[in-house]
Amino acid sequence: MSDIVEIRSLSKQFGRRRAVDQLDLTVGQGEIFGLVGPNGAGKTTTLLMLVTLLRPDHGEIKVSGFSVAREPRAVRALIGFIPDVFGLYGNLTVAEYLDFFGACYGIASEQRRRLIGELLELVSISHRREDMVDTLSRGLQQRLALARVLMHDPQVLVLDEPASGLDPRARVEIRQLLIAIAKRGKTIIFSSHVLADVAELCSRVGILEQGRLVACGTLDQLNRQAAPHRFVRIELMQGANASDSQQLLASVPAVSHIRLKKEEAGADRIIFEVEFQGNEAALNQMLVRLLEKGLPIVHFGEVAQTLEDVFMQSTQGIVS
Amino acid sequence: MLRVPGSLEKTIEKRMAWKRTLQRFNNPVILKEIRSWMRTSQAFAVLTVYLIVISLIVFIVYQVTLASTSNPASDPNFRQTVGKAIFGTVVILELLLAALIGPALTSGAVSSERERRTFDLLRTTTLSARSFVLGKLGAALLYLILLIVAAMPIESIAFLLGGVGLAEILISSLMMIVCALFFCSLGLFFSSFMRRTLGSTVGAYVVIVLSVILLVVAFVLIFMNPNLCDARSAANDLPCQKTLIVIVWILASTNPLLAAGISESMLTQSQNAIMATMPLGSNLSVSLPLPWIPLVGLYIILSVFMIWASIHFVSRPDQ
Repeated sequence: MSDIVEIRSLSKQFGRRRAVDQLDLTVGQGEIFGLVGPNGAGKTTTLLMLVTLLRPDHGEIKVSGFSVAREPRAVRALIGFIPDVFGLYGNLTVAEYLDFFGACYGIASEQRRRLIGELLELVSISHRREDMVDTLSRGLQQRLALARVLMHDPQVLVLDEPASGLDPRARVEIRQLLIAIAKRGKTIIFSSHVLADVAELCSRVGILEQGRLVACGTLDQLNRQAAPHRFVRIELMQGANASDSQQLLASVPAVSHIRLKKEEAGADRIIFEVEFQGNEAALNQMLVRLLEKGLPIVHFGEVAQTLEDVFMQSTQGIVS
Repeated sequence: MLRVPGSLEKTIEKRMAWKRTLQRFNNPVILKEIRSWMRTSQAFAVLTVYLIVISLIVFIVYQVTLASTSNPASDPNFRQTVGKAIFGTVVILELLLAALIGPALTSGAVSSERERRTFDLLRTTTLSARSFVLGKLGAALLYLILLIVAAMPIESIAFLLGGVGLAEILISSLMMIVCALFFCSLGLFFSSFMRRTLGSTVGAYVVIVLSVILLVVAFVLIFMNPNLCDARSAANDLPCQKTLIVIVWILASTNPLLAAGISESMLTQSQNAIMATMPLGSNLSVSLPLPWIPLVGLYIILSVFMIWASIHFVSRPDQ
């Protein structure tokens, strides 16, 4: 996969505060890349520099080989940007709003007419075509904003907090819409506080803190980066001896830490969370050994780390 | 396959070239602005109030002129006098309108886009800063032109009565266009570098109050001063007379209301639309261009500068 966005040694300072610090990042063609981080981590600043709205103090950004600093017009033709507050012209109709932005990109009027129909179908608001923009709900306005950025068929969509202020249903719908757009071969870069959205949507995630990229990769890579140990949840039948079972687990060479989850054990099972180092074969050996020793196992499974766990381990909560 | 004859092909090619040329001037911002503005009730309220005010003032001017003439029926110049008075009133009112409404139309042009958070969206499109600024300016000018055109039936009463020459019509039209351009550019200029519409509106109107209204008030106060009139009438005080003439000329050349009034008065006296000769004592005289000429030149230069500065402020990325 070739890189469509390249960010090299990017820095931006506001007064004494360093918003972005020596950021290096690449995003491949067709990727959905999520940028997460605590408030003030530099997510929006990075996106604003990428979309030509903010001048970097140092470093370079290239989109499809075009330098953002030297060829901003060429870059603008390749990107579509939705800011966190998607500015709308309330006294234009939905169709007029899209037509205006299409004209701003220099698209011919006949082509604009065709595109407006197609895009309104795509974002499922064609029934509101002649309605004034300010009569739309926030969810529908977000859909309209998505239609707007697709007017000039950009290669890269940059979205700053696309789910902010949306109700749960609208959030799910926007997520589905973004997946549909990504299937059209668009690269999507977005920042979000909603880690569940990022985990579900993104092929790669970058975690920013104090303007620095503290972790970057696929969710699997981030899991391994954040926690080199694996966790296994073992549930035993009611009546099993907890202390004997714990001793037996401790005798397994790969196991480094065992935790009895008493609060959950209140029901009818004894539950252990075991931290161990090793590959799939080691995991299999552990299971075989425990069964050979007659441990009454009713559930044995690896605990997957959530993005939230990775985020909490990667960041220290420091706001610059 | 159907073959298109050579001549028809040329015609189609010419039409396409013409269409391409027209598209180059097609500015989406103008259409959007006009569409948005004309959907508000303000657009019609301003037009209605403006026409009512002009009609009332013209009616008053007519009545005053009628009352000041002892026997209008026997006065051969009565019709021309009323015609000139009505024409002059409408021109002054339209210049005032340009000064008061022009900046109101443009002082929020850029800052309101910033406040609405649509400015960033526009800056990430391929629309150039020049097209954006000229679009905003063009839309404001078109609305001002609509107001001027709407007042034409009232102005045409003066043409029916007579007394207004072609030179006066052409000069007043030119002054009107240039003043509309200047005052709209002034609002746009403040709007392009101030973040808030309130600030840019206040800035633009402070300049207008100082340069247009206060200047006229100062002019009237200075020349109503009886001591100054005595000095002016002292025939052998040539340096004083020269200084006074130059002061009048400079004041009139930088203020549209004074330029219109003084140019009209000099044009009526000398029948020369370009130069005026003022006698100094018995043998001496001084020749100066009528104030409308330097005013038009100055306002065009200032407008171009303000448009250029606005484009510069709009195009630069945030620091």
